[in-house]
Amino acid sequence: MGPLVIRKLLLWMPLLFGFGFIAPLTAQTMVYWDIAPPLGLSPLVAGLIFGGAWGLYAQIKGRWI
Amino acid sequence: MDRPTGEMTREDALEDLPGEAGLIEGRVDTGAAERTAFPLAEGDGLDKHTRVELLKEERAVAARYMSDPAKMWPYTVITLTCFAIWIALFPLTIMGIVPLWAGFVFATFIAAVGYIPSHEAMHCNIGRPGTKYHFWNEAVGQVATIILIFPFSMARMMHLHHHYHCNHPENDPDYTDGASGPIMAWVKTWLNRQPGADGSIHHYKRVLARIGTPAAEKALRDTAYLQLASMALMFALAWSGHAFVAAFLFWLPRHLGLSYIRYWLSWAPHHPRDGLGRYENTRVFRTWVGHYLSLGMQYHIVHHLYPGIPNHATKYAYYEMKPVLERRGVDCSAL
Repeated sequence: MGPLVIRKLLLWMPLLFGFGFIAPLTAQTMVYWDIAPPLGLSPLVAGLIFGGAWGLYAQIKGRWI
Repeated sequence: MDRPTGEMTREDALEDLPGEAGLIEGRVDTGAAERTAFPLAEGDGLDKHTRVELLKEERAVAARYMSDPAKMWPYTVITLTCFAIWIALFPLTIMGIVPLWAGFVFATFIAAVGYIPSHEAMHCNIGRPGTKYHFWNEAVGQVATIILIFPFSMARMMHLHHHYHCNHPENDPDYTDGASGPIMAWVKTWLNRQPGADGSIHHYKRVLARIGTPAAEKALRDTAYLQLASMALMFALAWSGHAFVAAFLFWLPRHLGLSYIRYWLSWAPHHPRDGLGRYENTRVFRTWVGHYLSLGMQYHIVHHLYPGIPNHATKYAYYEMKPVLERRGVDCSAL
């Protein structure tokens, strides 16, 4: 069970990285540079959308850029 | 000196290396098993007697530079100290005691250079098994590449595999680092790390899965655990408001370090990766960045001939060995 869970987690790591790291990094970057997110979103929501989308792209395409 | 001179043959490895690191593959396959300890290349114009005599001269030089674990303590002290500093930088930067930019510079430096002591440990140059120095050898190996999210068990096994099957398209784990030129080589250091690429650590995992020994399975498990633990740390830092700390002390230094290592330690000394023989699988080259910034890789041929010679001594061993290497057909014109 344990190894299977680990394997699954690693398989989905690009998407998890998008939400787990890129999202908060984006939000904190916006706050630091005083960048207003579009559409009146909060920095965190904007970060989650951006990080989640990019992570999903990397998950599907197999590359970040 | 507690290490025999000479190249790392399979027989040496079986005797000298811990555990199953000496049994790189569970089957006889093309590559090292089919090559003799002294591959006598056809057409090099040397008779057997001459080749044997040259090898003796070569070994006599190598014997003077082989690692003495009693004198390798600086690798241990520097590595463990740098690791401790890196760990300390996390709270120190969070508390604002150390500026983050300084932490970033230090972390990037140790990410790039930390592979060198790990590499010495992979070859047990810091302490052979069964000696009092071996504990420190393993300690250095274990911590030096944590910042790269590259566990020692995988690093050692793949690196030794690289030695046994250097430049072999299927069996050399580093073959995917090959590129047509320096610019593409830098690009490839990043491309190979993409989630869907068959390069870098992704390729290593496939090679380990193919090897299938208990040691290989342990290396895969260690890799999985280290990757998950590292991601958990970065996510925790990021979601607790310290994403910049995670980015500039861990994530970005890791990527910069990995690219630096892949370029200088893998692509540069083995390009164009078309030689399989003892004297053909590495090249002597000169770079404008110099000896230290290229991590001593200009003289990497000495390392492949005699892995027991530590990195800091390969330059001096090369110049003493140069006349012999030239007679063996190595192009030493660059240095």
